[in-house]
Amino acid sequence: MATMDVEDFIGQNRQLSDLVETFRSFSESEKQWKGRREFLFRNINDYEDPHLDQLLALSMVWANHVFLGCRYDAVLLEKVREMAEGIVVEDAPVFKTRDEVIKQQQQKSCK
Amino acid sequence: MGVPAFFRWLSRKYPSIIVHCLEEKAKEYNGFKIPVDTSKPNPNEVEFDNLYLDMNGIIHPCTHPEDKPAPKNEDEMMVAIFEYIDRLFNIVRPRRVLYMAIDGVAPRAKMNQQRSRRFRASKEGVELTEEKNKMREEVIQRGGYLPPDEIKERFDSNCITPGTEFMDNLAKCLRYYVADRLTNDPGWHNITVFLSDASVPGEGEHKIMDFIRRQRAQPNHDPNTHHCLCGADADLIMLGLATHEPNFTIIREEFKPNKPRPCALCSQMGHEIKDCQGMAREKQGEHDEFADTVPVSEQEFIFIRLAVLREYLERELTMASLPFPFDFERSVDDWVFMCFFVGNDFLPHLPSLEIREGAIDRLVGIYKDVVHKTGGYLTENGFVNLERVELIMQAVGVAEDNIFKKRKDDDESFKRRMKEKKKRMKAEQGPSFVPGGQFAPQALGGRDRPMAVQNARQAAYEMRMKGNQRNQEAAQSLRAMMKNGKSPAGGSEDMDSRGVKRKAEDSDSEPEPEDNVRLWEEGWKQRYYKTKFDVDATDDEFRKKVVQSYVEGLCWVLRYYYQGCASWKWYFPFHYAPFAFDFKDIKGMFNNFEKGTKPFKPLEQLMGVFPAASGNFLPQTWRALMTDPESSIIDFYPDDFAIDLNGKKYAWQGVALLPFVDERRLRAALADVYPDLSPEEVRRNSLGSDVLFVGKSHPLCDFIRELYRAESHEDTEIPAELCHGIQGILNLDEDPILPDKPVESPIPTLRDISSNCAIGIKFKDPQYDDGFVFKAVVLPGAKIPNKVLKPGDWEQSNRGPWRPQLGFNPNRQQAHLDQSGFRKLNHYVDRNQGAGQYGSGPPFEAQHRGGQYSNAPPPRNYQQGNYRPPQRDHYPQNQYPRTPPVNAIAANPRFQHGAHGWDRAMQSQSTAYQQNQERGRGGWRPPHNQQDSRRGGHQQGFGQGYGLPPPSRRYNWN
Repeated sequence: MATMDVEDFIGQNRQLSDLVETFRSFSESEKQWKGRREFLFRNINDYEDPHLDQLLALSMVWANHVFLGCRYDAVLLEKVREMAEGIVVEDAPVFKTRDEVIKQQQQKSCK
Repeated sequence: MGVPAFFRWLSRKYPSIIVHCLEEKAKEYNGFKIPVDTSKPNPNEVEFDNLYLDMNGIIHPCTHPEDKPAPKNEDEMMVAIFEYIDRLFNIVRPRRVLYMAIDGVAPRAKMNQQRSRRFRASKEGVELTEEKNKMREEVIQRGGYLPPDEIKERFDSNCITPGTEFMDNLAKCLRYYVADRLTNDPGWHNITVFLSDASVPGEGEHKIMDFIRRQRAQPNHDPNTHHCLCGADADLIMLGLATHEPNFTIIREEFKPNKPRPCALCSQMGHEIKDCQGMAREKQGEHDEFADTVPVSEQEFIFIRLAVLREYLERELTMASLPFPFDFERSVDDWVFMCFFVGNDFLPHLPSLEIREGAIDRLVGIYKDVVHKTGGYLTENGFVNLERVELIMQAVGVAEDNIFKKRKDDDESFKRRMKEKKKRMKAEQGPSFVPGGQFAPQALGGRDRPMAVQNARQAAYEMRMKGNQRNQEAAQSLRAMMKNGKSPAGGSEDMDSRGVKRKAEDSDSEPEPEDNVRLWEEGWKQRYYKTKFDVDATDDEFRKKVVQSYVEGLCWVLRYYYQGCASWKWYFPFHYAPFAFDFKDIKGMFNNFEKGTKPFKPLEQLMGVFPAASGNFLPQTWRALMTDPESSIIDFYPDDFAIDLNGKKYAWQGVALLPFVDERRLRAALADVYPDLSPEEVRRNSLGSDVLFVGKSHPLCDFIRELYRAESHEDTEIPAELCHGIQGILNLDEDPILPDKPVESPIPTLRDISSNCAIGIKFKDPQYDDGFVFKAVVLPGAKIPNKVLKPGDWEQSNRGPWRPQLGFNPNRQQAHLDQSGFRKLNHYVDRNQGAGQYGSGPPFEAQHRGGQYSNAPPPRNYQQGNYRPPQRDHYPQNQYPRTPPVNAIAANPRFQHGAHGWDRAMQSQSTAYQQNQERGRGGWRPPHNQQDSRRGGHQQGFGQGYGLPPPSRRYNWN
């Protein structure tokens, strides 16, 4: 979905998009929310009401991975990556996870 | 406050706030330990009424100590905790109240920090185990010897979180402990004990504050209660100031940097795990009789006198010609508030304010400038005046640019200096066959012409010993290998090459964090927002959100300190702080907090702060929510997370970028698994109550007994006259500790209490109306303690020399040694330590060092007892008699004015050296009486003549 498509989609599905808008958290920046919103739009049909929280969790897994540098179980990551296919995040931040930092420091101190 | 630097800064700036604790040790006769009678007067010459223990500061070092081997099992941990409390009790000897508070469920605002600590702790634990295993293998392959790895489950320090079985067990053990001491220890007979365990919500220190605050606000409170609070956190100082109680003292372990730690692998001292070689353990004492004694000295305690800190602050904050009347108490509150900018547990600190860079001084300076314009104080009773705060922040904002630039400059020059130093050291270090010390080769025509060799035998001996050490090391490793039954052949070579290799490379590897923000360069603001928040600096809306949250945070924290938890729900939802510059139009940003919020239940909070790796502390189905990919809260539990070093060097200093917990989703997910809790878990998950204990001889005991007899299940107020004016609400305990009802010991090694004398009952702090505001004022009737600091106008006042106060007692009798005492002391004190202990006055030092005799051991003995380096107010008092002896000046040429003074001083010095040299010849063998007596005599002669130094000339008091 390109940006235009998302705007169209919102125009056509007012009710749904209003619902999705309630899932935005206070600290989410415009850029982060745009990505996650698209993630939700794409998959919301597969996760009807009782499973909505699961979708929210998966969207956060994806967003945490992309915007915060978190790493999850490989299977889980693969799954959200598939669910997010096609979402374009421009200029995504780069992170070093704790494991990487530690490894690097260990190498430095005993190489 | 998670700012270790804060205490260091404070104690350097205000040194007189610290008093070393005197601790009476238990004596031993014929193998029997005679416990200290704590009902005797306090040896610190002060009597405390109430002792409050922030228990988490005790539990952590007792369960996983850093400076000694860890306890083997939970029982040993409990005993260690008991002993620690006993020690504190012995030092403080409270006469009215002992309040023990364990951290309960914390406000949501703290959760992010808790999460980050626990996620890290879990990873660090795994890493340590891995390293241990790796090193163990290496050492054993190399032929080292290691004690067999005890089948000891790794103690996961994460279990020190409310809701775990461990905490539940701890609460049980502490009940037993209290009952035992109330029954058996005479020092406890008349005190009231409060135990607030982990089932009562709130952080330990804040539960204590709540208690104090609520007692103060009721009319029966004794305004001259002397409080003593135990804990190492710097925020206790803030909390103590916030009470406005005039007599408030904090007791904490003395901080000693670089304390030696035992190797995690072989438990021996002297090396770290990565340098462990698996040497055989050396015998401790002739027959290994000291095997279990810890070689490091026991951690000592210090008092921090807030009354003295208040004196200091009064000097610093007092402002003349204000447009409004100056009120010291209000300015203290403002000072506390400003300290929050520099760091606290609930908010990240502002990027421009670093405590090491004198941030608090800067803030105080700005505060004093700006307060003329603000028209009043920044805070009142814990409520913030945002308009005035904005003025302060804007003033900081103006300087921000320069602060960052200066930081960079300082950093650069520090690095440059270090590099040069390293280079110098390297250049100076010759190959190992070049002798050092006075035998070191000297360049011809150098500044220091070659000197006659002094004390050649001694120097040669030392060099020999040094060489021997290497041999010994080799021999030891050989022994170790034989013990392991392997040939030494390959091993030692390997080891040698290892040693050398490491040395060569250690020198240059400084982890250099990369920095994308470059706060010192133009455009820092844009880069900061881009890298830290992933937004453009033009995104005003987002920035406003951050600032708004931060402003809310400041209000929340201050309210938390002065009024109690305003909202259990509020938290700062970002990982970084905004710039001071961004605090614009903040006046309307905050109104009030949501009312009626409730804390999490213990198990809910565990779900919120634990990583999946610590899931074993949770019920099965709850644990599954942390790992199941289908879980609706799986996003809270990443396997690994990013660390932003944020300009720091090590991972543990960096910011852990952990996702925030969505409370709604957490509760919804848990609703499904709540039915799976066992009755035991339901009990652990419920909110508990504080418990009050007294012994049989306490006036309250009969009252409580009567309540139990009447089975009155209603709230009952404590009659104020029975308990030193302490008020509160009593409620019967379901499973109470009652007199004459035996108390079973939860610890196998400790005995049951068959004839129990203690009684326990549920306790609730006095309750106040919803809108009640606790006043931050000194109570009427409170007597402000006598001043301790030297008055600023002392010199003008002609009142004779200033006598500083060392302890709590202004008229303390100072002990002193006579001649024979010094002899004995010299006999036993390690000579190499002497210089440090007795301090050598700068003038002496200057003459001794670098002079002809620079290689002779520094003469220190004639300074003993009569001169110490100026440490501001810490002077041995009565060594300076009020009126100098008449012969003082004549006997001591040093203080003679006039032309000959210096020469004569030198003469007397050289006699001193002759003695010194003589001593040097034999002095390195076990001491001889003859020498000692000579030394003692010399000391005395010199000491007596060393009269009163003219203060105005010699010492700089300020």
